[in-house]
Amino acid sequence: MSNTPLSRLARSEAASGYAMISPTAIYAILMLAAPLITIVAYSFFKDGYLTILHEFTLDNYIATWSDPIFRAILLRSLIVSGLVTFVTVVLAFPIAYYISFNVSASRKSLWIFLITIPFWTSYLIRVFLWKVILGYNGVINSFLGALGLEDPLRMLNTVGAIAVTLAHAYAPFAILPIFVSLEKIDRSLLEAGQDLGESRFMTFLRVTLPLAMPGVVAAVLIVFIPTIGDYVTPELIGGGKLPMVANMIQAQMLPLDNKPMGSAIAVSAMVVVTVISVAFLFLNRKFLRGQK
Amino acid sequence: MTTRPTMIEFRDVHKYYGDYHALRGITAQIRAGEFFSLLGPSGCGKTTLLRTIAGFEDISSGAVLIDGKDMSLVPANKRPTNMVFQSYAIFPHLSVEQNVAFGLRRDTRPQAEKDKMVAEALEMVGLKGYGARAAHALSGGQRQRVALARALILKPKVLLLDEPLSALDKKMREQMQVELIKLQRQVGITFVLVTHDQEEALVMSDRIAVMFEGEIAQLADPETLYRRPNSRRVADFIGVMNFLPAKVLSEANGHIQVEAAGLGSFDIEAQQAPGEITGGEASVGFRPETLTILYEGQTAQDRETAGTIDEVVYYGDMTYYDVKLDGVEAPVRISMRNVFGRPVLDVGTRTRVAWSPGALVLFR
Amino acid sequence: MMKLPPLRIYALAYLVFLYAPIVLLPIFAFNDGTIIAFPLKGFTTEWFAQMFHNDTLGRALKNSLIIAVSSAVMATCFGIFAARAGSRFNFPGKGGIIGLIMLPLVLPEIIVAVSLLVVLLGMGVTLSIFTVMLGHILICTPYAIAILNTAFNSLDRSLEEAAYDLGESKLSTFRLITLPLVMPGLISSFLISFTISLDEFIIAFFLAGNEPTLPTYIFSQLRFPKQIPMIMALGTCLVLASIVLLTIAEYFRRRGIAKTGGKDTGGFL
Repeated sequence: MSNTPLSRLARSEAASGYAMISPTAIYAILMLAAPLITIVAYSFFKDGYLTILHEFTLDNYIATWSDPIFRAILLRSLIVSGLVTFVTVVLAFPIAYYISFNVSASRKSLWIFLITIPFWTSYLIRVFLWKVILGYNGVINSFLGALGLEDPLRMLNTVGAIAVTLAHAYAPFAILPIFVSLEKIDRSLLEAGQDLGESRFMTFLRVTLPLAMPGVVAAVLIVFIPTIGDYVTPELIGGGKLPMVANMIQAQMLPLDNKPMGSAIAVSAMVVVTVISVAFLFLNRKFLRGQK
Repeated sequence: MTTRPTMIEFRDVHKYYGDYHALRGITAQIRAGEFFSLLGPSGCGKTTLLRTIAGFEDISSGAVLIDGKDMSLVPANKRPTNMVFQSYAIFPHLSVEQNVAFGLRRDTRPQAEKDKMVAEALEMVGLKGYGARAAHALSGGQRQRVALARALILKPKVLLLDEPLSALDKKMREQMQVELIKLQRQVGITFVLVTHDQEEALVMSDRIAVMFEGEIAQLADPETLYRRPNSRRVADFIGVMNFLPAKVLSEANGHIQVEAAGLGSFDIEAQQAPGEITGGEASVGFRPETLTILYEGQTAQDRETAGTIDEVVYYGDMTYYDVKLDGVEAPVRISMRNVFGRPVLDVGTRTRVAWSPGALVLFR
Repeated sequence: MMKLPPLRIYALAYLVFLYAPIVLLPIFAFNDGTIIAFPLKGFTTEWFAQMFHNDTLGRALKNSLIIAVSSAVMATCFGIFAARAGSRFNFPGKGGIIGLIMLPLVLPEIIVAVSLLVVLLGMGVTLSIFTVMLGHILICTPYAIAILNTAFNSLDRSLEEAAYDLGESKLSTFRLITLPLVMPGLISSFLISFTISLDEFIIAFFLAGNEPTLPTYIFSQLRFPKQIPMIMALGTCLVLASIVLLTIAEYFRRRGIAKTGGKDTGGFL
């Protein structure tokens, strides 16, 4: 027989699949997986002057977690991210609902396009423009001044200002997953709900909302996780006075050049974010199951 | 018909997808120049078997031979087969001409000759003058024709057709059936058709392999398949067959004495009982048209039994009567051609039924 | 008679919220005043002129273009491999491998930047625009895959089988059939990756060393009020460029779907 098991394996689907994905996979392993493993390893090393001592230690973590500044910054990051996520998703849901249910099929693409465009324009300049809008001499205060309000509002350098800016930046990330999950809902289900005597509002609560939940969950995670690591907004809108985790990591890594410490902070932040995300997924699953 | 040489041979072909045993020891021969169909319900392995001929599926063990040559190391692009896909697979970015000429790209013939071949192929499938059209502007039937021309222009030894008519509406499908038969006779190439439509297979094929669960249940010409199915399963899949519980009383000298509910006891010939002998419990099967409802004054040519009409389904040219034969709970279906001047009978009418032991099949 | 249901009013208000900062850009870019505030002082094109005569900006632009073009080409190539593997083959560990490749989509960019920085410095690599490219390829690839997945999935597999069946090799099938049919997706993937790379700040901030890129240059200038009007002019140009690129990308994405006979499911991502 010319068909040896080896030649079959070489021609098998799995082998073709591995061969096909290998360039991308190898790149991701070298440039993503290996670096991630490295900072986890670094976080257990000692920082010598200008060098890294390859000795196992928990000192970085002990120093990190016993530092009240870190704890305050982490807490602030979580509060800001939580706030941003809540605001973004709550504001985004009606938009996704409107596009999915009230916009004619031919114009849906246009709406989605309109919503994604601001996202693709320079992030830095967008953030800076919020500074212009919210600033002491900014657009809003000029407007209020023209209306006769004497005292300008002090909006910059507040957690609220950071939240508004980030909510703006991550709007499409929240709208798109919810829109996709709403699009998947079979419209006859809603008619069935109303046919069975439910009001429009009850149909929304009992049919639409539960079916849209996967999109909402995706939106929450896709906004929450990156905002925790945002650097630019706290720096520009917070005026550097309200640093978040990313600013602290940057400070350790670049100006202070304490790579093990920076790594420990980065790893700590990642672990906290992961734990919160998993807990959120778990609670959500439990909640959905409890509803049935 | 003289027996033709073998074109395709399957030798104990097995195919596994992981743990799933998709083809379970297929052994069969397809003859040169015949119109052969692989018929079965979805998931029976018929498409997989077709794709092992084309070379799109590797087989796990066994061998596929085309024109006497083992194909195990021959990739799909080097095999003397061409395929018409279920979706037709017309290249949407090319014109009709470019689609048909696609397989000639590596051919060394002069361009003028290739152009002539394309024109001939288009004419053959009834698309003369359509060459410059964009492929995506064609109707379903036209795509089908382009796919045929594209495959036939290479003069393959075997043309493989994967459910080619399933996407067409009923009228178009019947028209294409006839055209495909004519085309096959004209080019003389071996056609292997995959279909789940038993009527289509009966109409078009010289021979049919009926497949269930990765195995060939019966391989025969359409008439044998219809009149002498070798199992209840095949009988059920092809057309309508009535079954009545029966008992084998005795067997001798090529004759079997049977007693069947509603029919009494009678003799049949051994060849009317395909399949292995498994025990005394059996059933007899017969097609709806082999029974006749007798009107007043008519007499049975062979045998006669009686029953009550339970249901009447009127089809215009035909009427189906479901008749409860005396002593049998389940009704049997009898089809009668409607004749001018003869009324359709009502439900509840007592009726006499003519039948003949020669038309029966015994399953055990 | 026009009737505006509350939801529509809300949607329009939301669009105003989304576009408010962008609308301000050209207003201040043409405003004849160094302070970014109302009331406006008058019309000028001075900031645009200043922008064209700024050498550092020129170098930053050149760097950014080199990085963006290279990253977009590489990300699209990696995207082709991964999208094709994902849509055509099944193999053990597929979910995990694709999960890793798509991870930068949810991973904060600072983590990508920091971890790459640590490894590159550890290996003694000098930071340059090349090191920025390494990071940008990583974050652009998931977007490229998402776009190319749609392109490959809307491609009927039997088209490739048909070409192979008609005597072409696997390679020439790819060239004659697959490539032309997914070309709109490729262009769209390239443009999206290009736009992401051009706009990316954090990774460039960490990995560029002393080389400026557009975003890091902008970031450094935002501290100097005198420079702000010029940045506004620059921003106006960037926004225009993004809109043009995205419109082209969207055009090709839709054409690709129409060409392969698929159904439009709307939007990027």
